[in-house]
Amino acid sequence: MHERERDLVAQFMQRQIGRRELFRRMGQMGVGAAAASYLLNTASTQVLAADFDWQAHKGKTVTLLLNKHPYTDAMIANLDNFKTLTGMDVKYDVFPEDVYFDKVTAALSSQGTQYDAFMTGAYQTWQYGPAGWLVDMNQFISDPAYTAPNYNWEDMLPNLRASTAWSGVPGEALGGEGAKQWAVPWGFELNNLAYNKPLFDKLGLGVPKNLPELIETAAKITKDAGGPYGIGVRGSRSWASIHPGFLSAYSNYGQKDFSLADGKLSAAMNTPESKAFHDLWVKMIQDSGPKNWATYTWYQVGTDLGAGASGMIYDADILGYFMNGGDNKEAGHLAYAAIAPNPEATAPTPNVWIWSLGMNAFGQQQDAAWLFVQWASGTEHGLFGARKMDFVNPVRQSVWDDQEFKDRIAAKYPGYIEQYTTSAPGSKIYFTPQPLFFNLTTEWAASLQKMVAKEVPVSEGLDQLAESVNRQLKQAGLG
Amino acid sequence: MTEATLWSRLLRPVLLTLVALFFLFPIFWVFLMSFQTNEQILRIPPSLFFSPTLDNYWGLVSGKLVTAAGTLELPFMRNLWNSVVLSTGAVLLSLLLGVPAAYAFARFKFRLGEDIAFTLLSFRFAPPLLVLLPLNLYFQTLGLNDTYIGLIWVYQLITLPLILWIVRGYFEDISPDVEHAYRVDGHGWLKTFLKISIPLARPGIAAAALLSFIFAWNNFVFALILGSSSIQPVTVGALAFVTASGIQYGQIAAAVVLSILPTLTLALYAQRYLVEGLSLGAVKG
Repeated sequence: MHERERDLVAQFMQRQIGRRELFRRMGQMGVGAAAASYLLNTASTQVLAADFDWQAHKGKTVTLLLNKHPYTDAMIANLDNFKTLTGMDVKYDVFPEDVYFDKVTAALSSQGTQYDAFMTGAYQTWQYGPAGWLVDMNQFISDPAYTAPNYNWEDMLPNLRASTAWSGVPGEALGGEGAKQWAVPWGFELNNLAYNKPLFDKLGLGVPKNLPELIETAAKITKDAGGPYGIGVRGSRSWASIHPGFLSAYSNYGQKDFSLADGKLSAAMNTPESKAFHDLWVKMIQDSGPKNWATYTWYQVGTDLGAGASGMIYDADILGYFMNGGDNKEAGHLAYAAIAPNPEATAPTPNVWIWSLGMNAFGQQQDAAWLFVQWASGTEHGLFGARKMDFVNPVRQSVWDDQEFKDRIAAKYPGYIEQYTTSAPGSKIYFTPQPLFFNLTTEWAASLQKMVAKEVPVSEGLDQLAESVNRQLKQAGLG
Repeated sequence: MTEATLWSRLLRPVLLTLVALFFLFPIFWVFLMSFQTNEQILRIPPSLFFSPTLDNYWGLVSGKLVTAAGTLELPFMRNLWNSVVLSTGAVLLSLLLGVPAAYAFARFKFRLGEDIAFTLLSFRFAPPLLVLLPLNLYFQTLGLNDTYIGLIWVYQLITLPLILWIVRGYFEDISPDVEHAYRVDGHGWLKTFLKISIPLARPGIAAAALLSFIFAWNNFVFALILGSSSIQPVTVGALAFVTASGIQYGQIAAAVVLSILPTLTLALYAQRYLVEGLSLGAVKG
């Protein structure tokens, strides 16, 4: 590298000049964009390598278990940099999402050693962590012998750090005292509105600000749009139907899933306030939801928005993000907005799903695996993924602050950055952590199905649900 | 012309067409979908008219699919090959072990014979998930995890009982007198088994082999748990088109069409054996 170019890259790495300025000046020196990117990547790797022995496990191979996901694609696209940085090799096994957690659970529960690190959701760590299948990442994060000085753990969004840490005591707050860091956040999604802008313009509709307005707007779309229905939300008999829009709205009304007294949990779904909220939600689906709502998962909610079959969705923001590209009919037509469902609430409170990286407690080379986790969740890879790939939403504040990333999103995804900025302070996991999470939340979804199908009135349905939940909590010694 | 024949002449074709439509329409629709883009498939309302594309098939065969969202890597042909290796291997091994065993159970009375035969059948009763976790532990210790040999071994849980029990019934139906006559000529029992019993039972063996091939082909959970992604069969591989960023309906349809081709070809070829084989064992003489 010539002296002047090296100085220029050094200035950029020290954040004295911006990325655009760097490329402009490189251009003046006759260095093309591709060559400049190469120089920059090499320099980034060198900066990463400074002050820390990234080559400590040179020659080792770590094996990963991954879900087929844009986050995985972004990581694989950048993997050569990790190999150059560490001298290590990486093998990976990618499985489709439908069967991914079956594979993870089988691998961990049989104390398999074949995988060193893997993708996991935060909810899954409530099962895997206390069972002793996961490594507590705190021991690595807090030790400078294992973690590079520029890893900057504090840069990770605090709510996400807390949401992936738990003491293992049912009902105890996530990220509280004695919490073990069961996983490191990698990419996440929060729940807000994504809507079909041309359709809203055509019907002269404003973007709803709260649940009553959402119900009204959705009903207008169903009535006037000539085909598309008003609001897409998930409804299948699965815990995954509860955690997106539903729980985000529920929390905004100040409601909780469980109450904790003297270390014992009890169902809190049948309070008068909760019943009033359920009434609104059920009415919204009955009036303006999809016809086969009870079968709706992530895929149907997204596909309908992308194909123009629904006017808006209250689901993961990145679902709306994905549907605005690819070969979707409505690609380029979608816009995004934050929603605080409770008219009396001051800000949105979206529940979040966090794709995280966990480490196998039975793995034979945890130090080497941590090097990978550290690199994959580090700032450099986060920036690469956010700028060049679909590695959204970033889990680091510094990536959200990156102008190139913000410009890219603002140009193609109107309102996306704003919905994030408005919602970020209130975004976290609103479930009470406890080991029966999947069973009890699935039962909640089943109960919701009965209410929407008018098999049982809302109030009675919630009383039955609470009774059943309390019985199961008692049987498990939690209630 | 009587009234009955008029009815049957007019009504039968109509009813047959209706029944055929009912059963074949989903397959026909999937076939059409395999020549459409995702956007065409998701049109509202759906339409029978479209400009066909071979992109879905080309994507599967070449292993790469270029979409507006980027290039998608598709290891589908490898999955298809894995299915062929696993199913064929499993059926061949089962034939090798199961046919002589079936003959023994049919012809000879020996201590615990019925108990052993029933134990082999009972492999079919156990839910796969019940045996998978312990198997996973054993396989890791034995180094069989993530190998074709290991999986073909586990597939015996599916194929061996089926072949053994179908072929056993078949051997029982063949009169022992033919074998006795051959043995009177001075031939040993092994030669009798190879020259007389197997040729006579061939339709039954073919039918059992075909059925167990189909069962093995459709298996999902064994390879998922016991193998890495490099040895997954089509049943698992086809799910890769369902991704967080959308469902590739066109590729799913093309994958379905491609993955039923081997079993369909085999079934068409062996159809006459299948019908003959399954029905001949049904009536005891």
